[in-house]
Parts: sequence; C-alpha cells; structure tokens
Amino acid sequence: MTDAEPAAGFYERIKAYEGQSAAVGGEGRDPVNSPMIRHWCEAMGHLLPVDGSAPPTMLQVWTMAGLSGHGDRSGPYDELLGALDAAGFDAVVATDCEQEYVRPLRPGDRIVFDAVIESVSPRKTTKLGIGHFITTRMDLRSGGEQVGTHRFRILKYAPAPRKAPGKRPRPVVNRDNAGFWNGVSRHELLIQRCTGCGTPRFPWLPGCNSCGGQAWDTVKASGSGTVYSYVVMHHPPFPAFEPPYAVALVELPEGVRMIANVTGVPYDKVRIGMPVELEFAVVDDELTLPVFRVREGV
Amino acid sequence: MVARVNYDEVEAGTELPPLTIPVTRGTLVQYAGASGDFNPIHWNEKFAKEVGLPDVIAHGMFTMASAVRVVTDWVGDPGALVEYGVRFTKPVVVPNDDKGALIEVSGKVAAKLDDAARTVRVDLTVTSAGQKVLGQSRAVVRLA
Repeated sequence: MTDAEPAAGFYERIKAYEGQSAAVGGEGRDPVNSPMIRHWCEAMGHLLPVDGSAPPTMLQVWTMAGLSGHGDRSGPYDELLGALDAAGFDAVVATDCEQEYVRPLRPGDRIVFDAVIESVSPRKTTKLGIGHFITTRMDLRSGGEQVGTHRFRILKYAPAPRKAPGKRPRPVVNRDNAGFWNGVSRHELLIQRCTGCGTPRFPWLPGCNSCGGQAWDTVKASGSGTVYSYVVMHHPPFPAFEPPYAVALVELPEGVRMIANVTGVPYDKVRIGMPVELEFAVVDDELTLPVFRVREGV
Repeated sequence: MVARVNYDEVEAGTELPPLTIPVTRGTLVQYAGASGDFNPIHWNEKFAKEVGLPDVIAHGMFTMASAVRVVTDWVGDPGALVEYGVRFTKPVVVPNDDKGALIEVSGKVAAKLDDAARTVRVDLTVTSAGQKVLGQSRAVVRLA
C-alpha cells in the first residue's frame, strides 16, 4: 500500500474533523430553473413534471459548482482530504448517497447549503484497498426553510497493488503417477486399470481399491464425458486463478470421475449433466492440463 | 401532480413493474451537462483507464436517479419521493459502442410505513451486466 504506515495518532487527528463544516452558506450558482430541469429530464429519459417542479433527485444539482470548479468549500474538508492524500490514501470512490426531500423545488427557488463532516471511519480494509470512509451531510434551504438533505459517503483509500498473475501450481510427479503425466504430455488421458479384477481407477494409485492387486495397465480415455457435479470458487482468491470459476467433477464412460476445469461457457452456465469433450489446455511452456469443453449446441 | 397508486391498495410484497434503462456515452454526456458533474471518468476513456477503471463508467448519481424511476413511474409523480438512499456497489461500465450498457431495475414494497402520511418503503434491485450495481437501495414514497 502506502510508502509508510500512517503515523500513530493519525486516526485521532482525522477523526477530529467530525462535526466541522465542509461548507457554510454555500449558494447555488443559479436559482432552480426550467432549462436545467429540462436537460435533466431529457438525460434521464422521463417526462417533465407537469407542475414545472424539479424532480427530487436533482437535489444535489443545485449545489454543483459547474464547469469552473468549487469555490465555496471550507477549509476543514479540503484539509481532511489533504491529510488523507498525504498519508497515501489518495484515491477516492463514492460509496453511498442518501437524500431526503422535504418539499418540491420550483423555478426561482434560491438554494443555500451548509455541509458538515458527519463522520470519519476508522481505518478499513476493503476490496479496493485500505482507507477511511468520510460521510458529509449537506442541508439545503430555500428562503430560510429546509428543503432537503443530501448525505454522501466517500472512501479515501490507498489502492491495493495489482498482483502479477501467479503461475498455476505444478503437479507433483512421482513414480506412482508419472505415467499419467507422460500421457498428458502426448495429449492422451490415461486411466489405470487393475489387471487382476479389471477395475478402472483415477487418480493414479499404486494399488487397486477393489481387490488390492498391484498390477495394472492403462486405458486411453475416449474423450467424452458428462458433468457429474461442480463447484464455483469465489473465495479465497489464489494468484493463478481469477474467481469466480467453475471446477467440475467429470464422469467418463470408462468408469471413473475426475476433477477438471470446464471451458467454453462462463462459470455460471456450468450445469450437472452437461456433455463435455476432453481437450488439452497448454497453460505455459511447462504445463499442459486436461480440461473439458462443453459440447457445441448445448 | 398527485400519486396515482392508492396506499390502501398496496401491500408489503407488491411488486412494481420492472424497468430496463439503456445507457450510452451520449446519455452520460447529457447527464454531465444536466447535473454539473464533469468528472472525466464519466466521458474520457483514456482518463478512466489511466485511473484503473475498465472503461468509462456511469455517474453513481445517474444510476441512482435512473433507478428510482421504477418507483416514480409506478406512482406517476416524481414529486412523491420522500427519501431515497443507495450504496454504490459496482460501477456501471459503459462501452463506446452502439449498445452501451443496460441497467435493470425491479422494486418491491418492503413495508407500509405510516397510514397517516400514506408512505411506503420500496426496496430496489439494480443490476447491470449481471452484477448488482446499487445495494441497499431504498426509497420512501408517498401514495395517494
């Protein structure tokens, strides 16, 4: 994250901004007016209110600074943002908005607003990175009466570094399973078969689960299969994988089931019973894996 | 204008007619002008990508205001909205093609709040490209 962890007492320092003003007696640049209402309704694709009033969701519009930027923000808010920037929390994203509409606004209403820094959260770890939530509340008035409230929360954060995609884990190849990986390198999926009782087995093992026999030969899989079951991985993330992704248990007509990725459909379209076809995915220079592609037309 | 939905005829669980809102780059340019929010992440692809976004994204306030149309269209009066709050959970990514993005909105009456004020709370479900883009999206609206 940041170059340095924020100094001790940092949170106390930024929390002290709670209750301070972010704007005092700010004035809307223009009174509520019909052209802006019309532009808004056109952008939102809805009809103009027949009584000429502004749609309530325009509330914040009447406080915006327009093209030339903010002029009437008070010191404390900028100071707070500056302190967060300096501590490495230099990215910002809006997280919440709540509005209350006390009465409809009509052309001619002149909006005056005060804003207060309502809360500064303790340090939080989020998906985007570590940071602090800042909530401001803006009270809007016209002719001395309250017309609405606009509460807005942002996250000031230090963006989490993007991790370079990791390598897929390597298989552990030993004397018991070398035959399988040799087959994969020739783009063959080999299944062990007990020469004593004829039971196929997968994954590769030194002995037969059925009769205990240690002699075996191999059968080359035909390549067809069916999704017997599957899971969708969301968490925990692993460097080589981008969640969510589906991991399937594929049943082969040779009489075994194996775990593999399903390709050719998004993770949320994998279904039990889907016919799939073996193919070999070249992951990198050193690794090829058997995967199953959903059959065309499914 | 007066709300055309009668409070007495609404129950908790009443579903509102859903809404699909198309959003193109043109929509965002219109909204920037109408709202006064000219942040370049909402119209400049190069800038948006430089700050780590996948593409230009819609204004959160646009998504918020658009979504609540499911309520105000139902009620027939934009002015009937009393309170409205959302959480911005995912950005609405708007590619520069003919299609842009679609915002899908549905709503359900969660509770009848006040028999005298004739207000109900509507909970909204707002998605785009299969992802929830607004969370805890709740509107309080006054009915007839």
